[in-house]
Amino acid sequence: MHTDGIINLQNVSFYRGGRAIFEDLNCAIAAGKITAIMGPSGTGKTTLLRLISGQLQPHKGQVFLFDQDMAKIKQKQLNQLRKRMGVLFQSGALFTDLSVFENVAFPLREHMNLSADDLYNRVLTQLEAVGLRGVKDFMPSQLSGGMARRVALARAVAMGPEVILYDEPFAGQDPIAMAVLQRLIKSLNDQLQLTSVLVSHDVAEAFAIADHVILLGEGRVLAQDHPDALKTSTDPAVKQFIHGEADGVIPFHYPAPALQDELRGPS
Amino acid sequence: MLRFVVDCIANLGAVLLHKLVQMGQALLMLLQATTVQPKASSLTRLIQQLYVVGVQSLIIILVSALFIGMVLGLQGFTLLSAYGSEQAVGQMVALTLVRELAPVVAALLFAGRAGSALTAEIGLMKATEQLASLEMFGIDPLHRIVAPRFWAGIISLPLLVAIFSLVGIYGGHLVAVEWLGVYSGSYWGNMQQAVDFNEDVLNGMLKALVFAFLISWIALYQGYSCLPTSQGISAATTRTVVYSSLAILGFDFILTALMFGGAV
Amino acid sequence: MNKRWLELSVGAMMVAGIAALVALALQVSGGSMRNVGHYPVSALFENAAGLGPKAKVTMAGVTIGEVVAVGIDPDTLMAEVRMQIYGQINYLSIDSSASILTAGLLGEKYVGITAGAEDDLLGAGDVIEDTQSALILEELIGQFLINLGDK
Repeated sequence: MHTDGIINLQNVSFYRGGRAIFEDLNCAIAAGKITAIMGPSGTGKTTLLRLISGQLQPHKGQVFLFDQDMAKIKQKQLNQLRKRMGVLFQSGALFTDLSVFENVAFPLREHMNLSADDLYNRVLTQLEAVGLRGVKDFMPSQLSGGMARRVALARAVAMGPEVILYDEPFAGQDPIAMAVLQRLIKSLNDQLQLTSVLVSHDVAEAFAIADHVILLGEGRVLAQDHPDALKTSTDPAVKQFIHGEADGVIPFHYPAPALQDELRGPS
Repeated sequence: MLRFVVDCIANLGAVLLHKLVQMGQALLMLLQATTVQPKASSLTRLIQQLYVVGVQSLIIILVSALFIGMVLGLQGFTLLSAYGSEQAVGQMVALTLVRELAPVVAALLFAGRAGSALTAEIGLMKATEQLASLEMFGIDPLHRIVAPRFWAGIISLPLLVAIFSLVGIYGGHLVAVEWLGVYSGSYWGNMQQAVDFNEDVLNGMLKALVFAFLISWIALYQGYSCLPTSQGISAATTRTVVYSSLAILGFDFILTALMFGGAV
Repeated sequence: MNKRWLELSVGAMMVAGIAALVALALQVSGGSMRNVGHYPVSALFENAAGLGPKAKVTMAGVTIGEVVAVGIDPDTLMAEVRMQIYGQINYLSIDSSASILTAGLLGEKYVGITAGAEDDLLGAGDVIEDTQSALILEELIGQFLINLGDK
C-alpha cells in the first residue's frame, strides 16, 4: 500500500464514453512539495484533479487523500476533508453575485465563527498577500482574468488548507500575470508549508517552480522525476513534450485509416 | 427492411430509457434540494430569490393582466350585447380569468421571464465552475443554489396569479363599465353571484401552485444538468421555455377536467 | 442592490399578492363559500329529465345546496336525486316538497324546495316524499294536441 504521499492513487482506471482516460494509474504526491502534473491536452489532467478532490469516483482502483479512501467515506467526512483542501479552478470560479471581499470571506463565513472585525482583517490580509487589497469592493466582472485568478487564490487559501490544487493556473495569461502567479504559488507553498498540486501544460513555468513533475500520457505515468532530471531525460516521449516537438512518440496525426484509402479517387 | 424496423424500435427504446433516467435524476435533484433543514441564512437567500423571480416578473404580469382584462371586457361586451345580456360581462371576465387565463398566462409569462433566467444562471454557474467550487468548500450546491430558487418560484407564482386575476378584472371593468357603459352594479353583482371562492378562486390558485412546481423544477433541472458550454446553456434555456409551456398547457387540461369537468 | 430596498420590494409583493387574494374573496366572489359543511338529502321523482350533478337546489329563489348525483332507485324504478343542503339551512321541515324547475323556457334545470308545516325537521339522509317532476315540453304539447282533437 502506498503510504508515502499525502495523496496516493492506486491502480486507478477511469473511462469516459468507452475510452480509457486512465488505465491502472499509480502515483503518489509528497507532502510539502510542489508537484506538477503535466501532459499534452486531453490526457485527463483536470480529470485527475477531480478524482483527487472527490468530485469524480474512479471506475477501478482507489484514491487516498490524507490516508482516507475517497470511495469509502461519507459525504460529511468528505466535506470535512475538503475544508483541508483548496482548489484554484481554471476560470477562477469566483461567485459572480458577490464582491471580491465577499468572495474571499465566503469560506470563512461558512465554516468559521469569526467576529466581524476578525473576518475583515483576515480577508484583507489574504487580499494583501495576492496584492489586490485595492479591489476589495469590485465585482468579479470588473476584474481581468489574471486578477480574478489571484482573488480566487486568496479565497482558496483563506481557510488555511493543507493541500491546494491548481487547475491550469497559467493558461491564457499574459507573461506578467504568469510571473505573478508563479511567484505567488511558490511563496504560498513555502510560507504556509502547503502541499501544492499543479496541473499544467506550460512547461517553462511549471518546471521553474515544481519540486517534482509527473508526466502523464496515454492513461498512465510516462515519467516522473525532479524537473532538472527530466530536462536531461533521453526518453523520446519526455523529450518530445518538454521541447515541444510536433511529431514523435505522441503522433501529430490522430489515428485514422491511411490517407490514400480515404481520398476519393476519380471513378 | 426488417433491420430498419428493428433499428427504429431499438432507437425508440433507447430514447425512452434516456428520458426515464433523466426524470429519475430530476426527481433525485428535487428531493435532495428540498429535504434540508433551513438555516438562519436561508431566509436571506430566499428573499434574494423572491426578488429576482417574483418582483422582477411583476411588471410583465401587471401589464399583460391589464390588457387581457381589457380585451375580455371588449370581446365579452360585443358578444353578449348581441343577446342583450351585456350585464353578464362581469361574470364572464371574472370566470375566464380566475379559472383559466390568470393561471395559464401568468405561468407562461413566468416560464419565459423567470424560468429561462434560472436555467441560464445555473448553467453559467456550472460552466464557470462556481457549483464545483461550492462543492469544494463543502457546501452542497443543491441546498445553496437550487433550493432557494425552487421555493421562491413556488411562493411567487400563486401570488402573481392572484394579482393577475384582480388586475385583469379591473381591466375588464375599465372597458365594460367606464367606456362602454355597463352598469357598475351589475358588473360586480353578476360576478359575485357567479364566482365561488372555493370552487373558482382556490382552484385557480391550486393550478398556479402546480404550474409553479413544474416551471421551477424544469428550469432548475435544465440548468443543473446542462452541458457547461455556451451552446449547452442556450439549448437548455430553450428547452426550459418549451417544456414548461407544454407542461403548463397539458396539465391545465388535466386539472380543468378534474376540477370543473363536472359529470363524470 | 440595496438590501433594504430588496426586502421592501419583496415584502410589498407578498402583501400585494395576499391582498389580491383577499380582494378576490370579497369583491369578486362576494365572500360566497358554498362548501362550508352540508348534509345529504334525497328525493324520488317520476321523471328527472335533464337534471344533472352540480345543478342548484333553491328555496324561494335562494341557492341552498346542489345536486350530487342522479340515478335510478332499484326498488321503485323512479329517479333518485341525491342533494347536499348547506349546513346553515337547518330548518327545513320533514314535509317539505321538491320539484324540478326550469330557469326560463329553455334554461337549466334545478331543484326547488318548498317548506312544509311540520315541526319535525329534515335531517341527514332523509328522503323528501312530496315531489313534482320536471315539466316536459314534448308531453305538454302532446296533451295540448289531444285536447285540440277532442273538441
